[in-house]
Amino acid sequence: MTHVKISMAQALNQALRDAMKADDTVLMFGEDVGALGGVFRITDGLTAEFGEDRCFDTPLAEAGIVGMAVGLAMNGMRPVVEMQFDAFGYPAFEQIVSHVAKMRNRTRGRITLPMVIRMPYAGGIGGVEHHSDSSESYYAHTPGLTVVAPATVADAYTLLRKAIEFPDPVVFMEPKKLYWAKEEVDLTEDQPGIGTAVVRREGADATLIAYGPTVPVALEAAEVAAAEGRQLSVVDLRSIVPFDDETVCAAVRRTGRAVVVAEASGFASVSSEIVARVTERCFHSLAAPIRRVTGFDIPYPPPKLEKYQLPGVDRILDAVDDLQWEDS
Amino acid sequence: MTSLEERLLPSAEPVRLIDQDGVPHDHPSYRLPDRDVLLDGYTQLIKGRRINDQASALVRQGRLAVYPSSHGQEACQVAATMVLREGDWLFPTYRDTVSIMSRGVDPIETLTLLRGDWHSGYDPYARNVAPQSTPLATQLTHAVGVAHAARLKGEDTVVMALCGDGGTSEGDFHEALNFAAVFHAPVVFFIQNNEYAISVPLARQSIAPSLAHKGIGYGVPGERADGNDLAGLLAVLGQAVERARAGEGPQLVEAHTYRVQAHTNADDATRYREDDEVTPWLERDPIKRLEAYLTAQGLLDDAARERAEGAAAQLADQLRDGLMPEPVVDPAELFVHLYTEQTQQMREQAAFLRDELAREEA
Amino acid sequence: MNTFLLPDLGEGLTEAEIVRWLVKVGDVITVDTPIAEVETAKSIVELPSPYAGTVGELHGEPGTTIPVGKPLITIAEAAPAAGFGAEEPPASAETGVQPDQAGEAYREEEQAGSGSVLVGYGTGERPGTGRRRARRPHARTGSVTISGTSLPSRANYAPETASPAPLVISPLVRRLARDAGVDLKALTGSGEGGLIVRRDVERAIAERFEPTAPVVAAAESRTGLAELRREPMSGFRKAAVATLSRSRAEIPEATTWVDVDATPLVELRESLRSAKDSGPGLLALMGRFVVAGLLKYPELNGFVDTERDELVQYDGVNLGLAAQTDRGLVVPAVANAHRLTTRALDGEIRRLTDSARAGRLTPYELSCGTFTLNNYGSFGVDGSAAIINHPQVAILGVGRIIDRPWVVDGELAIRKLTQLSLVFDHRVCDGGTAAAFLRFVADAFENPASAFADL
Repeated sequence: MTHVKISMAQALNQALRDAMKADDTVLMFGEDVGALGGVFRITDGLTAEFGEDRCFDTPLAEAGIVGMAVGLAMNGMRPVVEMQFDAFGYPAFEQIVSHVAKMRNRTRGRITLPMVIRMPYAGGIGGVEHHSDSSESYYAHTPGLTVVAPATVADAYTLLRKAIEFPDPVVFMEPKKLYWAKEEVDLTEDQPGIGTAVVRREGADATLIAYGPTVPVALEAAEVAAAEGRQLSVVDLRSIVPFDDETVCAAVRRTGRAVVVAEASGFASVSSEIVARVTERCFHSLAAPIRRVTGFDIPYPPPKLEKYQLPGVDRILDAVDDLQWEDS
Repeated sequence: MTSLEERLLPSAEPVRLIDQDGVPHDHPSYRLPDRDVLLDGYTQLIKGRRINDQASALVRQGRLAVYPSSHGQEACQVAATMVLREGDWLFPTYRDTVSIMSRGVDPIETLTLLRGDWHSGYDPYARNVAPQSTPLATQLTHAVGVAHAARLKGEDTVVMALCGDGGTSEGDFHEALNFAAVFHAPVVFFIQNNEYAISVPLARQSIAPSLAHKGIGYGVPGERADGNDLAGLLAVLGQAVERARAGEGPQLVEAHTYRVQAHTNADDATRYREDDEVTPWLERDPIKRLEAYLTAQGLLDDAARERAEGAAAQLADQLRDGLMPEPVVDPAELFVHLYTEQTQQMREQAAFLRDELAREEA
Repeated sequence: MNTFLLPDLGEGLTEAEIVRWLVKVGDVITVDTPIAEVETAKSIVELPSPYAGTVGELHGEPGTTIPVGKPLITIAEAAPAAGFGAEEPPASAETGVQPDQAGEAYREEEQAGSGSVLVGYGTGERPGTGRRRARRPHARTGSVTISGTSLPSRANYAPETASPAPLVISPLVRRLARDAGVDLKALTGSGEGGLIVRRDVERAIAERFEPTAPVVAAAESRTGLAELRREPMSGFRKAAVATLSRSRAEIPEATTWVDVDATPLVELRESLRSAKDSGPGLLALMGRFVVAGLLKYPELNGFVDTERDELVQYDGVNLGLAAQTDRGLVVPAVANAHRLTTRALDGEIRRLTDSARAGRLTPYELSCGTFTLNNYGSFGVDGSAAIINHPQVAILGVGRIIDRPWVVDGELAIRKLTQLSLVFDHRVCDGGTAAAFLRFVADAFENPASAFADL
């Protein structure tokens, strides 16, 4: 298909379908991904099309799912597994950190694990406890993992395809709040690959840096700021690891002011890393400290209170106002 | 008891074909292995014992960081690989050094982890031996994945996955058996029950009638054998491998043995067990009984004994030769193996360390 | 001879006590023969010998404590001609490493402090303190450094050329510019890649003067000559022109001069020179006397406050010194010269001269002077009706010091003569005071000891 208007969930589904068609070592498994098609319908129709040997349900055991994927990848398969919600992946954390991340290094590159762990993450869906976590910082902190975080429909398709083709293990963070967001896309059009950030909007005054579900919020904030006379640029990271220092720093140097926007609680987070490394590299260009707009350092709130946790346009613009404009 | 339960539950007594005095016993379900197999096994045991003792000495000479010995458990170590074919896989724990070497992996490469110059020293695909690592039971789910992949490819590979008694308490043991059963994966889960997990005795690990009894919970047939009887182990493990290969799904085998020495050189076993608990097990030594049997059968003469000793001595030499010199380590290697394509951040950090080393006082 | 060094037994051991020997000197042993029992933190461990041969030396009595890495036992190797049984250690040539060197190298690696470990080598004490690595060279002009675990790297992080935000070395310098109203975008930074550093901002501040008197260009028709060249006046020159013109315009100055026999001064200077210490220079000595004179005649160390019609005298001397640089004449001042020893004054003079040449004088240094000492003798002239450095009120010129005929004790003699010229703002004092000051300085040159009482 060329130009279509589809949702991110549909784009991910199409990516899986196309990947499984292109390579019959690609497997898709997890809980409820078979007949049900996944609780978010991301795997809809795959079992029907490819059979139960290719897309299948497993017992309810996340460590087992990831561990089995490790073995499958060791023996010639390209497993794609789903953790039903990213917080449900915690039982698999040992497998991910002790083996998925370390196997290549442990064996000096003899064992490579071309596998993808898909995780719906982040909030804004009115979910009860434990359904809205943002756990990407744990995985970003683990050397040996590649952590990808698309924010657009086109990127969801392209980056999942590329993650499946990637020779090393990828933790694929799917912003569930955006699953139903529709965009008009051309799926045949190639997008930049893993490890490349993209400037979504140019602006001379300050730079917003975001990934996943905060990218559209940042873009909205930039629109409002423009109406107020301030031009903001917006960088969509697209990958957390590898981190695209070059694109991000070039963008920050152009303006001299930056705000990082992410849902995850801020302490010891991906946002902290972004501020640290951008400050290290762009210090001489900075007219003000880099600000962060993140979740509070609290467990993700219940649905009735989640709006206080999520970075919104106002909070972002307040942070932008704080960028020492009187100094320019 | 239904026939299902009979099929799934282990024998009432651990299978024993040669007792501790070297006397053979018949068994309704298992046959004594051929003499050639037992003679080969004898040599393997002698070599295995020497590996254990030489490696333990090398730790006390500062040549290895640590060595978790399988002294007294050599029958399990050796039986596990003797029943495998070339294309089959072995998934060892950190205590299964002898097993890995008996599979044909180079001894010095095997000991890389314990020497400490890298995390794993051998090519897993050369002999189909998974790398050792510290976490317990986590490799069991990998074993299931490897086995399932083989099935998907239409191969008749069997995976021998090793585990200790302590490891059976880990969640991954449970998940691996369950997955293996549900996916009908050709995995033989071989538990070496040596009665201790560091200082925690079996009674604190599980009160199941035996660890092999756990299999029925997953629908996996369990069997138990005397872990110091090479003949019994070969028979039981051999049958388990055959069944798995024939498509009967995963099998669980428990070997009753004993960890005669401490957990590692850095452990002091006198703090948690009495010497007189250990002594009876010295009488049950696997080499002792097999030697007695083979000698009584007239199968083991002085020449054969010398050949076995000679092979063991050669192996000991090889270990000493390989481990006395200081291993060559290259700090640059720290940044090379993480990803197929090195990231910019890896390059920067490698350059940082290079710069530091260049400024080091000679 | 092979020496078995006490190994790290994986328990954070730094030492072990010999419990008992299992062999004695002269015993012939094989590899792995147990040679001793040692006590560790947790238990008694039996140590097997890595070498075969004859026991040569036991390095301690039972009960003694041996540090990790120190010799435990020495074993003489078996004769090389002996048959190579399974227990013999391999010839060193095959391994390429001497066994005890291997042990030594291993020991060196395990030098870091920690506690007990169950599954590894453990660690021992780290010997010595202080850096073990040469310091990384740092460029002075603020290279783009990346802290943390990445390398100072300039090439990868060259700034964009498409209207980047100005590169400034630190927030403090940004503040300096902001407080002084300097537009960073208008500056060209002298640091790497155009980085704006502190002195760029300070220079911009120093050079920022408005000319007060319009400069009238002479018409070419007046002379009938073609212009040889025409140069715009630099900001620096314009600032200087402004000050000079203002000085002449506002100050009713008068000049008085005197010839001085500076021979004793020169001799004094030479006497302060030794093998180890070149001593303060002539200018410092002159400065010292001038400062003393100003303390005696503070009228000449002051300021005419025309707004309030008041004459100000300062409590202390900031001694200005004229310095010729590539860009022109600058007059930095030694602040609080009255508090300095002659040696310190000498040091300050040198420092300011260097700073002047490097263009690094601070605005304060350039403007804080209360009196100027102008040593133009290096130009080869004697007298000068110099221009007072507005808003100061006097300037003392010193000409060249040359041999001239003079009368000493009624006899002709060749003496080192120099001419002192004092230009002063007649509003602050009369000729008498000026002459007295001049005479004081002249007397100090001619007879340094006489000035001692007033130093």
